[in-house]
Amino acid sequence: MERLTPLLEVRDLVLRFGGVTALDGVSFDVGAGELFAIIGPNGAGKTSIFNCLNGVYRPQQGTITLDGTPLTGRSPAAIASLGVARTFQNLGLFEHLSLIDNLMLGRHHLMSTGMLSGMLWWGKAKREELAHREAVESIIELLELESYRRMPAGLLPYGVAKRAELGRALAMEPALLLLDEPVAGMNLEETEDMARYLTEVRRQLPLTMILVEHDMRLVMDLATQVLALDFGVVIASGTPAQIQDDPQVIEAYLGGAA
Amino acid sequence: MAKPHRNLVRDYRQDLRLFGSPAARAGLAAMLVTLVMLPMVVQDDFWLSVLVYVGITAVGAIGLNLLTGYCGQISLGHAFFIGAGAYVTGWAGGELGLPLVLWLPMAALAGGLLGAVIGPFALRLRGHYLAIVTLGLVFVGEHLWRNFRGLTGGNSGTSVNAPVSLGPIDFNRVELAGEVYSRNQGYFWLVWALVAIVALLVKNLVRTRPGRALQAVRDRDQAAEVIGVRAGRYKIGAFVVSSAIASVAGALFGSYQQFVSPDEWNLLLSIQYIAIVIVGGLGTVFGSILGAVFVGALPALIDRFGDAIPGVRTSVGGEGFISVFALNQAIFGVLIVLFLVLEPRGLAGIWLRIKAYFKSWPFSY
Repeated sequence: MERLTPLLEVRDLVLRFGGVTALDGVSFDVGAGELFAIIGPNGAGKTSIFNCLNGVYRPQQGTITLDGTPLTGRSPAAIASLGVARTFQNLGLFEHLSLIDNLMLGRHHLMSTGMLSGMLWWGKAKREELAHREAVESIIELLELESYRRMPAGLLPYGVAKRAELGRALAMEPALLLLDEPVAGMNLEETEDMARYLTEVRRQLPLTMILVEHDMRLVMDLATQVLALDFGVVIASGTPAQIQDDPQVIEAYLGGAA
Repeated sequence: MAKPHRNLVRDYRQDLRLFGSPAARAGLAAMLVTLVMLPMVVQDDFWLSVLVYVGITAVGAIGLNLLTGYCGQISLGHAFFIGAGAYVTGWAGGELGLPLVLWLPMAALAGGLLGAVIGPFALRLRGHYLAIVTLGLVFVGEHLWRNFRGLTGGNSGTSVNAPVSLGPIDFNRVELAGEVYSRNQGYFWLVWALVAIVALLVKNLVRTRPGRALQAVRDRDQAAEVIGVRAGRYKIGAFVVSSAIASVAGALFGSYQQFVSPDEWNLLLSIQYIAIVIVGGLGTVFGSILGAVFVGALPALIDRFGDAIPGVRTSVGGEGFISVFALNQAIFGVLIVLFLVLEPRGLAGIWLRIKAYFKSWPFSY
């Protein structure tokens, strides 16, 4: 399959914690509009890649470029403003704030109201609030979250909270969306719901997604490209069909000579 | 065409109103009428002065709640900024004779600047470093106030004679429709008008972009960074605004009391404010005011009715086993512990429960 010009280029990423090498020379390209899945057993380094991509970890070596702009060395907040959004494996919602406020926070970097104008609720601050509220409402509609608007995020049912977090990431209007195990801990029905929402989001928004996931069925159904990791090293990459039959991937997952 | 129901929200503009429902607007009107009428009904100087102190405390408590309740940072240095505000007033209002419209903003500005100088030292670190740094600040402050005689008059204190007139209205002696009102009545109006203004400003702040960012930092600072909120910047911002509001409270305190000494800005004052925001309810503006009413009035009441409480020593070497000062300390401590254990959402939480009960009445859920 012909691949598009890469939106994200990752080259020779090395990340060490003391004596432990979490990522050892990882390189890959993600093309614009792809749904790029990263798979691998526990501890393979999948979430570490995400943490490097959005600046939470500083890799010791290697470069990350988004659309020609280097991301390495920037702060998480700066990377967010450049258009990288993410969801967390164990939910990163602000539990005392309502769902609306959580989604509005996604638009923080697109807004400009400061402390003083916020206090005065002046013309511009008010107009900005209204305009972004409308944008947030369209995401609420897309993800069918209407009935949870006012609920504090900490009280949302698990499946809804996962969806709300996706909503907050979408509210950021990212160029690149990182999804860290969006269906972890979900039953079959909830997983299918999430798959449906992800497909719908991809249909409606010009997004590139990277997905870390253990649910192989979801990965094989949705992903356009797959990268398989084991112990911080890339063991295979290609289309879902190619990965499925790769002997090294089978070995990493099933262990030993099967 | 039939008129839509009064509670129906039809657009986002309506949804974003602070006092959106008819019930909320009625409540607001009732509060405003109470504030205007109260000094005419309660004319007793003791009670009026208690209410003035409560109002001043409410201003300061709203400031601390912004920092502690909304941004999750504990400061023990509130007393320092209150003191700074009082001294700025003594200098700008008293010595330079500047009017109210100048010395009050100047006090706020001075408090904000001091906060901006101190905040970065403590707030770039995670955890309770702010509590430790500001604890030191209270003692550094006490030393400064005792030795910086030009401004503070040293140990013996200084008088604060700031003019308090706004256009034709002199709050020391309000003349309205042929009627003359006392200084206490005038100050009640001035102070509680400022409570309303500060409450409105902070309420606006917390429902817009910067306020949401503060709360995001409180709930989960790393997730906040990842979605583009610069946590350090907002922690410092909250500290600056909170310090500025504390200085406004200090300015009002100094100008009302007309005399201030370094003994007033001690750790107990800071702890009193922490007790107020915990008792009132962390992360609520209304709770700060409730807390100020219940806790802020205590010292004055104990002072006045100390004779009637068994075991309280009201004079040096007098009878009783506990001094007024120690009793205050003990009560604040007990209140903090009781509320944290039994009602972490404070009086505001109790109020919300009562409201929810009557909303769904006669059903209990």
